[in-house]
Amino acid sequence: MNSLALLTAPLLLWAVCAVLVKNTRVLGILTAGWAWLYLAITCTLAAPVSLGIEPQVTLAPGFSIDATASWFMMLTATIAAGAMTHSHFFFQEEKLREPRPKSTHIRLFYACAALFVFAMTAVLLCDNLGFLWISIEATTLLSAPLVYFSRTRHAIEATWKYLIICSVGIAFALLGTILIFASSQHTSLSAGSLSLQQLIQLAPQLNYPLFKLGFIFCFLGYGTKAGVFPLHSWLPDAHAEAPAPASAMLSGALLNTALFAIWRLLQVDSACHHGRAAFGSNLAIWMGTITVVAASLFLIRQHGLKRLWAYSSIENVGLMLVAVGLGSPGLFFLQALNHSFAKATLFLLSGNIIQSTGSKHLSEIHGLLKLSPMWGVLLVAAACAATGVPPFGSFISEWLILSASADTGRWLVIFLLLSGISLSFIAVSIHVSRILLGTPKAPGSYRHPVLGSLIPAALMSFLFILGLTTGGFVSSTLHIGGAL
Amino acid sequence: MLGLAETLATAAAIFGIFMSGCRHVRSAIYLYAVQTALVASIAFVYSASEHTGPALNISLAVVLAKAVGIPFFLGWVVKRLDVRTDSGAFLPVPLSMHVSIALFATSYYLASSLDGAAGTFSAAAGATASISLVFTGLLFMMTRRLAISQIIGFLTMENGIYLLGLHETRGMPVIVEMGVLLDVLAAVMIAGVIVFRIKKNFKHIDVTRLTGLNEQ
Repeated sequence: MNSLALLTAPLLLWAVCAVLVKNTRVLGILTAGWAWLYLAITCTLAAPVSLGIEPQVTLAPGFSIDATASWFMMLTATIAAGAMTHSHFFFQEEKLREPRPKSTHIRLFYACAALFVFAMTAVLLCDNLGFLWISIEATTLLSAPLVYFSRTRHAIEATWKYLIICSVGIAFALLGTILIFASSQHTSLSAGSLSLQQLIQLAPQLNYPLFKLGFIFCFLGYGTKAGVFPLHSWLPDAHAEAPAPASAMLSGALLNTALFAIWRLLQVDSACHHGRAAFGSNLAIWMGTITVVAASLFLIRQHGLKRLWAYSSIENVGLMLVAVGLGSPGLFFLQALNHSFAKATLFLLSGNIIQSTGSKHLSEIHGLLKLSPMWGVLLVAAACAATGVPPFGSFISEWLILSASADTGRWLVIFLLLSGISLSFIAVSIHVSRILLGTPKAPGSYRHPVLGSLIPAALMSFLFILGLTTGGFVSSTLHIGGAL
Repeated sequence: MLGLAETLATAAAIFGIFMSGCRHVRSAIYLYAVQTALVASIAFVYSASEHTGPALNISLAVVLAKAVGIPFFLGWVVKRLDVRTDSGAFLPVPLSMHVSIALFATSYYLASSLDGAAGTFSAAAGATASISLVFTGLLFMMTRRLAISQIIGFLTMENGIYLLGLHETRGMPVIVEMGVLLDVLAAVMIAGVIVFRIKKNFKHIDVTRLTGLNEQ
């Protein structure tokens, strides 16, 4: 109970601050402070579990930290702390531009961000399919005001699509949850259960046709939230229209939590088959592969800077889904870690570039190397990390995904994944080189370029060091060799 | 008693079909309210007839929130925005009602084939009615123009899912039900706020004309 209070206190205080503090400058600094405190508390609670010192920490009935959840908790908290620190600089810069954001809008943004992080953490912690559904729907409802921030026509349209498409998708997940609950009532436990641990124990007795149907509906629902092709249509709009720090959190943290829900369900499905890869794994691997190929085709013809990164996120979601389908939590986390850091950097930098050049269209952004060499270098590094170029860890995770697919003889999957990854690398390279080279249309108008590149530089240096040491990290912490 | 529940479920599905044939937004809201009250009364019937059923106060909360609170809120939004009719997109309104009737028949077929596959799924009227409500809600969302109609369609779908939960599992655990109800209420509130904003920025609430992002 104490650890639960400890974990929620910084987030609640952060939300209360957003309601009470009227000065947005002070609020920005306070928010960043709460977010870093939250990260520190999360690490203290989760690190013993992820290092294997403790098997599990129970926070409340139905809510506990297990090994995989502990990695993702720390990842989510890091992305939130980075995005919130950057959002202070972002809003200071935004206030110099027309139309100036209202202080009430900024306060609403910070308040919803706090609760949004709370809901995402709840998704990772819960051991109950009902709570899982409630938390995922809550992430949609709490992130909608973040997308809505600028209140322009495009932002409103994107918010409406996000809210409606995700809510309908998640309604199907509720249908799936009910069917899974019904399937558990035909076991020795006649009252039925929604607890994942109990479902895994009862797996051989579950009414499999009902469970399978429920699994498909849940996959559809949470897949909509994760941006799996062809249910991704809300994702580029929402990511492109949200302010940069919100896009960083949507892409770097929210997509992981939706995939995490699918991973939880897949554990039950494989328990139904005594741990052998079966229907659910094949569904995840194939949908993931199709998503990678489709996203790489979409990447070729892009006109918006942030839409480009949004489609690259969809590609990475596909890769993560394949890792989930292969049944390797370590591989899933490694890909998620690299993608989240790289994508948070890309969205934060894109926010700076859009503020500096005043345009979000790729056709109007040129000569970034002349405009700001620092941003140019960071953008190239982050784009490399997002597309799986060595020395970044995403190269290793993509390599391991391919080799694991080879071990199970999925040659068509390997062929499609390789084509998708190569195509998206080529497409992103062409777009990035157009941004970097040429002459800028006008000198940039960014007040504090050093402050604005603080968080992106920190994230990228971490990712770079991680990439160089991934070999040791993979075998010692994630035990990927054993998991495969 | 269970026969009564099946009758009420079928009545709810029929009110759903009436709703899909309704051009006036206000009447659609009233029909939604009747449909929700019927669905909630099924929860009452179950809790009265079986002690394992959902607690009485849950069904009371559902009635108050979904059959009274939400229609009041939507009615207020409609009044403030001064919208009257939704002419329908893709399909004319009378035709979409006929499609709903066809989907009701499909639901019966689906419910019985589920019975064949799972062996335990009750193919009775309750399952048919709930699948039919899900279909009607989806169709309503797809064939209407106004943002407010999309909210009504979503809620109808949610009613169908709730009814399926009641029928197949005799209700989910109480705390989960309450959480779901809270999420649905919050979703309607947030959607309501955005509808006002759409009206303010676009001067209409026709979502089929929100195509600014498709051109990018």
